[in-house]
Amino acid sequence: MAFIWIIIMLISIAALIFADPSAVLSSMITGANGAVSLALTLVALYGIWLGLFEVLEGTGIADKLAGLLRPIVRRLFKGESEGTEKFVSMNISANLLGLGNAATPMGIGAVGSMKRGKNRAVATTNMIMLVVISATSLQIFPSTVISMRAAAGSANPADFLLPCIAATVTSTIVGIIGVKLLGRFFEKREAKKERRRNAETPEITEHPIAEKNTGTIKPPRKNDFIISAGRHGE
Amino acid sequence: MTIYIVPLIFLTVLGISFLRKKDAYTAFVKGAGSALELMAGVLPYLMAVMIACELFRTSGASAVFSRFMSPALEVVGIPGELSELVLLRPLSGAGSLSVLENIYATYGTDCFIGRCASVVYGSSETVFYVSAIYFSKSEVRNLRYAIPLALVAAFIGNIVGCNLCRLI
Repeated sequence: MAFIWIIIMLISIAALIFADPSAVLSSMITGANGAVSLALTLVALYGIWLGLFEVLEGTGIADKLAGLLRPIVRRLFKGESEGTEKFVSMNISANLLGLGNAATPMGIGAVGSMKRGKNRAVATTNMIMLVVISATSLQIFPSTVISMRAAAGSANPADFLLPCIAATVTSTIVGIIGVKLLGRFFEKREAKKERRRNAETPEITEHPIAEKNTGTIKPPRKNDFIISAGRHGE
Repeated sequence: MTIYIVPLIFLTVLGISFLRKKDAYTAFVKGAGSALELMAGVLPYLMAVMIACELFRTSGASAVFSRFMSPALEVVGIPGELSELVLLRPLSGAGSLSVLENIYATYGTDCFIGRCASVVYGSSETVFYVSAIYFSKSEVRNLRYAIPLALVAAFIGNIVGCNLCRLI
């Protein structure tokens, strides 16, 4: 993401320096303003949906929904806690209903609560799975486009629906398979690297007298000389 | 039909809460309270993404890239006229919406191009926005193959959808 962003910025700004330098600042201002007004709209929407979700939590409906989706969620997201699974099923349900703005807070909660890997700054396979599923769009009914077509005078605004559903389902399935395959591929690579690392530096077993990691040798303690002999000296 | 979804959801949830004698008011207030904090986390990412997208569009770089992409798209069955839409869709929802409007105005809605454009817009998401936002509350900075995979998957979906439009 960082890489793509900087590339886009550099290319665009460089191009604008030749084409219309004053547009650099004005475009950035337009973009920033767009972000602020979008953020304001979103605060309102998030407020509505987060409020609803809190009520939902209290009624226990969220748990029922999570129960319904649990088999799928468990298959796709291995090894996460119940709380995370709940976030994920809420995110998926909201996306399916076409409520992208309701799904986002749930998605953020899900990613935030997922188990981390060794390096906290690197996305885990489950995080990638959730992002790919959301980014390939689960929305079955593209209401925005249909309304726009109707507004533009289409005789049959929803006639593209079947190819559209096929497209969105295909993209999501391809995404899921991709995450599973790539996830397994990278995990195997990591395991191979770990094995190689362990083979090169064999684990040094505990020396009873010299303490690990200190420069000085500590005087041996009484217990250091008791040979581990099973129960009562067998 | 779908206009009933949201009202029914609210009615059901609030109704059940009422019937089960839960305090919906306090719960709602508590939930809504976290929206501002959420937005505070999301806004910086929104800024970064939208500034980049606006610059990309105004600089004409997106137009140039699109012209390069057209022949490649034709090969897989996507009309070349849609290349700016295909390029912009993962980058910017608002930007691609205006490109869609342009396409309707130029080519019409009820033709092959118009339908394909609807499929491209309706079947994919703003990949960069989603990726940035979803990770905004975690310390994760390295997204690995998430974005490339999502882009490829969306593109394959576009190919399938557009080619199916030929059958209409």
